[in-house]
Amino acid sequence: MKQDLQELLARLGENGDLVVREFRLRGTHPAAMVFFSSLVNLEQVREHVLKPLIAPYPVQPELPGDSGSIIHYLWSTVVEVTQGTACADLAELPPAAVKGELILLIDGVPEALRMEMRQIEMRGVEQPQTEQVIRGPREGYVEKLENNLSLLRYRLQSTDLRIETSPLGTRTQSRVALCYIDGIADSSLVAEAMRRISLIHTDGILDAGYIEQFIEDQPLSPFPQVQSTERPDKTAAALLEGRVAVLVDGSPFALIVPALFNQFFQTVDDYTERFIMGSLIRMIRLIALAFSLFFPALYVSVISFNPELLPTDFAVAISGGRAGVPFPAVLEVLIMEVSMEVLREATIRLPQMIGGALSIVGVLVIGQAAVGAGLASPITVVIVALTTIGSFATPAYNAAIALRMLRFPLIILAGMFGLYGVMIGTILILNHLLYLESFGVPYMTPYIPGNWRDLRDTLVRAPLWWMRRRPSFLHPRDPDRLSAGVPSRKVDGILRQGDGTDD
Amino acid sequence: MTKPRQITTLRAAAVISSTIIGVGILSFPRYMAEAGGSSAPLIALTGVLISFISYWLLASLCQRFPGETLFGFSRRLLGAPLATLFTILILLMFIALTGLTVRQFGDVATTVLYKKTPIEATIILMLLIGMLSTRRSVVKFSYIHFFYLPLIVGSILVTVLISLKNVELLNLQPVLMPPSPRFWNGARQASYLFQSSFIIVLLIPFMEKPGHAVRAGALAIFMSGVIYMLIVIASVGMFGAEETKLLIYPTLEMARSSAFGEGFLERLDALFIIIWVISVFTTIYTTGYLSAYLLQKLLRLRDRRMASSALLPVMFIVSMLPSNVFETYRWSLHLGQAGMILIPGYSLLLWGVHLVRGYRKKESS
Repeated sequence: MKQDLQELLARLGENGDLVVREFRLRGTHPAAMVFFSSLVNLEQVREHVLKPLIAPYPVQPELPGDSGSIIHYLWSTVVEVTQGTACADLAELPPAAVKGELILLIDGVPEALRMEMRQIEMRGVEQPQTEQVIRGPREGYVEKLENNLSLLRYRLQSTDLRIETSPLGTRTQSRVALCYIDGIADSSLVAEAMRRISLIHTDGILDAGYIEQFIEDQPLSPFPQVQSTERPDKTAAALLEGRVAVLVDGSPFALIVPALFNQFFQTVDDYTERFIMGSLIRMIRLIALAFSLFFPALYVSVISFNPELLPTDFAVAISGGRAGVPFPAVLEVLIMEVSMEVLREATIRLPQMIGGALSIVGVLVIGQAAVGAGLASPITVVIVALTTIGSFATPAYNAAIALRMLRFPLIILAGMFGLYGVMIGTILILNHLLYLESFGVPYMTPYIPGNWRDLRDTLVRAPLWWMRRRPSFLHPRDPDRLSAGVPSRKVDGILRQGDGTDD
Repeated sequence: MTKPRQITTLRAAAVISSTIIGVGILSFPRYMAEAGGSSAPLIALTGVLISFISYWLLASLCQRFPGETLFGFSRRLLGAPLATLFTILILLMFIALTGLTVRQFGDVATTVLYKKTPIEATIILMLLIGMLSTRRSVVKFSYIHFFYLPLIVGSILVTVLISLKNVELLNLQPVLMPPSPRFWNGARQASYLFQSSFIIVLLIPFMEKPGHAVRAGALAIFMSGVIYMLIVIASVGMFGAEETKLLIYPTLEMARSSAFGEGFLERLDALFIIIWVISVFTTIYTTGYLSAYLLQKLLRLRDRRMASSALLPVMFIVSMLPSNVFETYRWSLHLGQAGMILIPGYSLLLWGVHLVRGYRKKESS
């Protein structure tokens, strides 16, 4: 045992939190426990492992003389731990200790006992910061994988939920969990996701974002092809549609694939609220999206190339406002837009208390002063403000950034070629979107390749009882949300929906 | 997860009709009015029918070889040298067609919208986006067309419907005219617009139901035919035949004189031009795609990038050759005439060889 212990300690190296507790098992056999005090629950170690091992209870029988069965005896009758294994290979022990397991070595016994004692301090389940809802659950993921999986399992209490975990990252050994619902998710999609994850070779996976960059189809595209969410309910809904989710230990985000363009302006609110409200709000969000992409470019091109498009009174008002501004409209809009982006980035990085003050100073004071100083015309400020507000209304942060960044080339094209330039830019963006794929599904699905049934959940949100079928582009193995023969119509004001799980 | 036969009949129809609706929209009513005065819509209709016959010859031939494009099976029917010659001729035709289309587009854009922008810049930008996108696969090609078609058709319909309220029925009478050489000439000119329906030869090997190629074309030619007819009816009805003859871009004038929403948008012409950019793009995309594909097959290149990059300067030069608007129109009429002989002629030749060989096979068996 001495030799094994020394070897183990040599592998683990000098560490302040490494505990080596030597004792005598039942007062006779020399034994030692090795663990990291920072990873395990010390109280439990003392109460449920150390105490029963040391105490020579009068009622308990003697240790078996044969060394091979000691481990078995200890495991089955003495220690009070739920998970553990006997292990004869010394090389397996250091990684186990680093993961938070407790290792018990006994003199004269060739095997060691590994016991799962991991406990890591973790923040509680809180409302997700990036995806807030008016109506809907307030739970968000935390960093610990077990917690996240339990949040997910709580919502999908089905025996068909499959969670496959594997360690990833040669140094971090982060656990990655691939979740899907057996019987719904297309098996080739699951296989493809698994294949892409298994091809990742890197030393560290610190967040789900790392995985996203390895598995997405087109890394050069500005548009996100993997959806990341902080919400377990959103993940559950995606799994029920036949998608696959990936969770990583240490990350409060789940990745959902395949992710399509229209997913990025849908929120949980759309589904928890009644369908008319949901549809209206969804359309408003789409308008906001168009605002954030096109508004400044259209403004520039109309002002500098086609003022005849505007009603005369309005055109006069605009040119009156622009009288004191020395720059061409492109430059003016670019200056304002860039400063707006800087302001936005600064507000995010600052603590919340200062952030509010900064935005007031930035928007009100500087905006007003810029007009007064002749740096920008009032109408430009209005346009820039509308654009910025529009970009905040896109629910998915990464998609909003994509559109926000594409706005700048459009403004420059508008400055060079007017409406024609805007159109060329739009065609380029649209062509790119039409060409993109996420895990084999065209990105603009279901507009392209055109499926009437799937269009029910795009610009509008159809009533839930109309959406009896799962999205067909995911090739779900079970296409029906309801079991066969269950009426889903509204009968006497009561929505009778079958429980999809029992049949 | 991707299957090879993905293009549905509807999508094939969308490709054809968004290709057909193109640069011609703006000047089409003028030709028709020149040919037949107030019976211009009738001439347009005849032109549509003529072009459908030409399309039918080609598509029904291609349907007999559902797994191959025209350039594959023509080698077997005609032998390699003759097939190559015809392929080169078609390639030249489509290069010229792309060049002239983009030139007509550039002319409109510079004279109507951007008087200070050099025409070269407008043209090169349009050619660039057209040829950049030719690198995509045929399936993505059909996606792009399918996505833009509702935009194109919808906006044209809205413009036409708004201007229909200004139509004087008197301007459209008499509807009929005796079939004279002038009538047939006009009908033939109308059918030039439909020449790019040739794209079906590329689509057939990727269609879910290759047997529906004729149906797809019929749908497409019908749809775009209706659009063209409506435009002719609206502009001839609005301005009268004599004035339509004088306007270079009657459709644009039509959009210009219609207001929307009580002065909220005083003129629709710039908006119309914007959508028109898309419809020109889809046309150039198709002709450019065909040219790049043909060049790729001729030179047996592995990918289309090289072919489309090589074609870009050639098309640009072609588009800069005509010295003014009138020359451009004269050239495109000549080109249309050449195409009118080349495409149905080629399909008739192939039909003949195919039938003769079929008889021989029957006799020998």
